[in-house]
Amino acid sequence: MDTVSKVYGRGGGAVAALREVTAELPRGRFTAIMGPSGSGKSTFLHCAAGLDTPTSGSVRLGGTELSSMSETKLTELRRGRVGFVFQAFNLVPSLTVEQNVTLPLRLAGTRPDRAWLRDVLDRVGLADRSRHRPAELSGGQQQRVAIARALVTRPEVLFGDEPTGALDTMTARDVLTLLREAVDGLGRTVVIVTHDPVAASYADTVVFLADGRIVDRLDDPSSDRVAARMTRLGAWT
Amino acid sequence: MLRIALATLRHRRAGFAGAFAALLCAAALVCACGVLLDTGLRGSVEPERYAGAPVIVSGDQFVHRTKEKKGKEKRKSKAIAERAWPPAAVAEKVAAAPGVRRAVAEVVFPAEIGDPDGASWGHGWESAALTPFTLRDGRAPAAPGEIVVDAGTARTNGLRVGSDVRVTSTADGTYRVVGVTAEALDHQAALFFSTEQARRLAGRDGRVAAIGAWGPERAVRDAVRGTSATVHTGTDRGRVEFLGAEEARIDLISMGGALGGTSLLVAVLVVSGTFALSVRQREREIALLRAVAATPRQVRRMIGREALLVGLAAAPLGAACGVPLAFWLRDRFRGLGALPPNLDLVVGPFPPLAAVLATVAAAVAAARLAGRRTARIRPVEALGDAALRPARLGAPRVAAGLAATAGGAVLTIVLANLDTEAASSPVTFLAALVWTVAVALLGPALVRAAVAVLAVPLRAFPVGGHLAAANLAMDARRLASVVTPLTLMIGLTATILFAQTTLGHAATRQAEQGTIADHVVGPRVPHAAAEELRAAPGVTAVTEVVRGTVRVGLENYAVQGVTPDGLRHTLDLDVRAGSLADLGPSTVAVSATAAGRLGVRPGDRLPLTLGDGTPIEPTVVAVYGRGLGFGDLTLAHEVVAAHVDDPRGTLLVAGTLPDGVPAAGAAALAEARATANAQVNYVAMALIIAFTAIAVVNTLAMATADRARELAALRLAGATRRQLLRMLGWETGAVVLVAGVLGTAIALAVLGAFARGMTGGAPHVPPGAHLAVLALGGALALAATALPARLAMAVRPAAAVGVRE
Repeated sequence: MDTVSKVYGRGGGAVAALREVTAELPRGRFTAIMGPSGSGKSTFLHCAAGLDTPTSGSVRLGGTELSSMSETKLTELRRGRVGFVFQAFNLVPSLTVEQNVTLPLRLAGTRPDRAWLRDVLDRVGLADRSRHRPAELSGGQQQRVAIARALVTRPEVLFGDEPTGALDTMTARDVLTLLREAVDGLGRTVVIVTHDPVAASYADTVVFLADGRIVDRLDDPSSDRVAARMTRLGAWT
Repeated sequence: MLRIALATLRHRRAGFAGAFAALLCAAALVCACGVLLDTGLRGSVEPERYAGAPVIVSGDQFVHRTKEKKGKEKRKSKAIAERAWPPAAVAEKVAAAPGVRRAVAEVVFPAEIGDPDGASWGHGWESAALTPFTLRDGRAPAAPGEIVVDAGTARTNGLRVGSDVRVTSTADGTYRVVGVTAEALDHQAALFFSTEQARRLAGRDGRVAAIGAWGPERAVRDAVRGTSATVHTGTDRGRVEFLGAEEARIDLISMGGALGGTSLLVAVLVVSGTFALSVRQREREIALLRAVAATPRQVRRMIGREALLVGLAAAPLGAACGVPLAFWLRDRFRGLGALPPNLDLVVGPFPPLAAVLATVAAAVAAARLAGRRTARIRPVEALGDAALRPARLGAPRVAAGLAATAGGAVLTIVLANLDTEAASSPVTFLAALVWTVAVALLGPALVRAAVAVLAVPLRAFPVGGHLAAANLAMDARRLASVVTPLTLMIGLTATILFAQTTLGHAATRQAEQGTIADHVVGPRVPHAAAEELRAAPGVTAVTEVVRGTVRVGLENYAVQGVTPDGLRHTLDLDVRAGSLADLGPSTVAVSATAAGRLGVRPGDRLPLTLGDGTPIEPTVVAVYGRGLGFGDLTLAHEVVAAHVDDPRGTLLVAGTLPDGVPAAGAAALAEARATANAQVNYVAMALIIAFTAIAVVNTLAMATADRARELAALRLAGATRRQLLRMLGWETGAVVLVAGVLGTAIALAVLGAFARGMTGGAPHVPPGAHLAVLALGGALALAATALPARLAMAVRPAAAVGVRE
C-alpha cells in the first residue's frame, strides 16, 4: 500500500479514515492490525483486500494494481486470489456447510476439486458436518466453515476482520491456530484486524494504527507486549 | 404449530410467500380476463327460436364505414343496438329461390304475461315452424283475441286452453289461450298471436324480422344478393336471434383486455415492491455474496432466477384458479344482465398459457426493477453491524419518478378533455395507476417529508409514540415500500367508486332538474295508455319518452325520443341555442357536448343511423345542456319508437294524475341507466382492489415479521408487549395517514379531471363512503401488522434476539 488515503463524506463533514498510509504486508506471513476504535483499521483492511477503493494512493496485490479496477474486476480478483473471514454473518443460512464452502467456486463457474475440499474440511475438523446448515453449528464451528471457504480457492491472501471477535477464548484459540496453520502449513499470507492482544500474539507482525496513521510495528509479539503497547496508545483500559 | 408458522413467517420464505401470493392472484386474474376475452372472440350462442330452420335470413346488424388511413382503405363495422328488419320483398325472393322448399317470415315484438324472468317475445303463429313449436293442446290462434303460449309460460302462470289472460305488449290486452305448445325455450318465453294481430302489434308494415328457409344456402344467398339482408346457418343463427349477445361479446373483449392489462400493471407494481422488500431484508446476505465472490450481475441474475422460480411455481397454480374465477365472474355478470345467459364461456388452452407467460414475465420484470438496487449494495456492508444505508435516492430513480409524475399530469390533463365514458374510463384507471407509480418511485422522499411533519405530534406520546417516531425517521425506505400498496389500494378504490358516483350524481341531478313534469309513469308504458292518459281530466300534458342508442358515423350516442306536444310543461333540457318547438320527424336536438364533438349547430344536417340500421338525416334545431341526464340526442318519439325492438317507454305527466296510475321518481329515469353499467365496473374492479388488498397485507406482514429481532431487543431493554404493540400501532397509523393522504390526493386529482371532462362540474365524493374506504385500508393495515407482531413476540425475547436476520 502506497500513500493510501480514504475520506468518507465531503466538504466540512468529511472524515478521513486513513491518512496517507504506506505499508507492506509480506508474503507468507501472518500480520495483525491493531488499534483503538475509529483508528481506521477496518478501512485499512477493506482497501488492502479490494473491498473498498481508496480516495487516493495505490494498492497492489502481488503485481496487480487494485485502486483503478472496476467493481466486476475487483470481484473476480477477490474470487480467485483473496479469502475472507468476517466477525459474524459469514455464511448463507440456506446453504449447507459444503455448499457454503464451495460457494466462491460455484460463483466462478469452476468445479470443486473433491479431494481438496475433503482436505480443507478435514483441516478445519468439519468433515463429518458437511451436510449441516449454519444454524445447526456453534459459533466456533461457523467461523471454521468460513475459514474453509476462504481457503478453498487457494487464495494468495486471507483477510480476517475480527475473526474471533464473537467467540469465547477456547474457540478463538482453535480458530487462530487454524489461521496460523494456513501460514505455516499452506504458505498463505494472512492479515487480520483485531483488538484482542491474545489474537495478535499469534501473528508474526503487529501493525498499530491510530487516527488513520501507522504508529508502531512489533515483530514476534507476545500478548503482554501487545497489551502494553495498546495501553500506551491510550485505548486499552 | 404456532412455532412452525412463526418460523415460516420469520424466515425468508415469508418474503417469497408474499411474492408467491401476489403472482398467484395476478395469474388468476389475467387468466380469468383471458377467458372472458377468448369468449368475446370465439364465443357462440346456440340458436333456440331459430333452431328449426337451417337457413336464416335477417337484416344487416352492422353499420359500415370506409375509413382512409395512410392511403389504405379500411372497412370498419359496428354492431347496431336493435333488430334490423329487412323488407318483406326479401321474403318473397327467398321463397322464390331455386331449391327452397319452404320459407317462413316472422315478426317479433315484446309481449309478456305476468312478470317473466327473462325475455318474452310475441310472434305470429305462422312462424312457429322456425323452432319448431308444435301444439300439445288446443288449436292455432285464428281470431285477433286468441293466443297460443309455450309450455313454460303455461306452467309458471297456470294457464290452460280456455284461460283468459292479460298480455302486456306494445298495446296491452286480454287474450284467450286457445293452445299450449309441447316445447319451451331455455332463455325466452314465446307467445303466438294470429298473423294479423302479430303484424299489428309489431307495427312495421312491409317489413319482417327474419326469414327461415329450408333449402340450399347458396341459392338463398344468390336470391338476397343486392339487398341489405344477410344469411346465417349453424350456430351463426344464434347471433341473429340474440342480438344482445353480439354486443356482450364486444364488451367482453374490451373489458377482458382492460381488466387483464390493469391487473398485470398492478401485479408488476405489487410484486416489485415485494421483491424490493425481500432484497432489503437480505441485504447482509447479498453483501456477503458480493464480498465472497459474486459480481453485481451475478447477484441480479440470482434474484431474477428466484423470481423466475417463484413465478413458475405461482403462475400455473394461479392460472388454474383463473378458470373457476372466470365462471364466477360470468355468474356475476349474468346476474347484472351484462352477459346473456346463453353465451357460454369458451375455455381454451390459450388464456391459461398466456396468463402463465405474462405472470412469469411480470415476475422477472419486477425482480429486475428490484434488483437494480443490489448493484449498490457494497460488500463492505457484510463486515460489521454498522451497515451504511444509502440515504439518497439514485438519480435514475428520481428521473423515473419525475417522468411518472409528468405522465400522470399529462394523462390527467387529457382526461379533463375527454367527454365520452368509453374514452375516459380506461384513462381514469391508467392515470390513477401512473400517479401511484410516481408515488412508488419517489416514495422514500415523500415519506421522509411526511415523517418530519408527523414526528412532532408523535413525540408527545411518551413511550410508544416516541419509539415510533424514531423508527419512522430511521427507515424511510421500508416505510415507503409499505405505503405504496396502501396508497394504490386507497387511490384506486376511491377513483373507481367515485368516478361512478360522480357520473351517476351528475346524471341524476340533471334528470331531476330537467324533469319539470309533476309525475313520472313507467317503465314500459304502451302508446295506447299514454293516449288514454292524455284524455284524462286534470292532465295538462303527457310526454312519451323512449330511449335507445344511435350511431353517428361509427360512434355510439344515447338518444331519447320525446313527443313534442306540451314538451315545455314536462321537460326542461336547458336549451342553449335554437328551440325545441321545431322538434319533429325530420329534426333533432343535440346536447352541448355532442354538438361540440360533432361540430354541428342549429340549421346543420346531422346524418345518423337509427337503432335498427335505418339512416336518417335530420336538421339540428336546438342545442341543450342536460345531455348526461337525458342522452346526447333528442329525436321525435315516433322516429325512435318505430326503430327499436321495444317501443314502450316512460311518461312525463303535467297536471294531476288520475287515481290508480302508479308514479315513479324523476331520478329513476337516469339512475336505472347508470346503475347496471356501474355495477359491472364495480364487480370487475373489486377483483383488482382485492388483489391490492392482498398486497397491502403481504408487505405489512413481511415488514413486521422482519423486525422480530428488533422487537425482541426492545423487550429485553424493558419494553412491555403492550408498549410495543402500541408503538407498532402508532407506526401503522402514520403509514395509513400518509397513504390515505396520498391516495386521496391521487383520487381527487384524477376524479377532478374526470368530472371536468364528463360533467363539467366537480367530482361527487360522498364523505361517508370515502371514510369507509380509508377505514377499510386502516383496518387491513392494523390487522396485517398486529398479527405477525403477536406471533413474533410469542417466542421468548432472548431466543428471538439471537436469531439471524
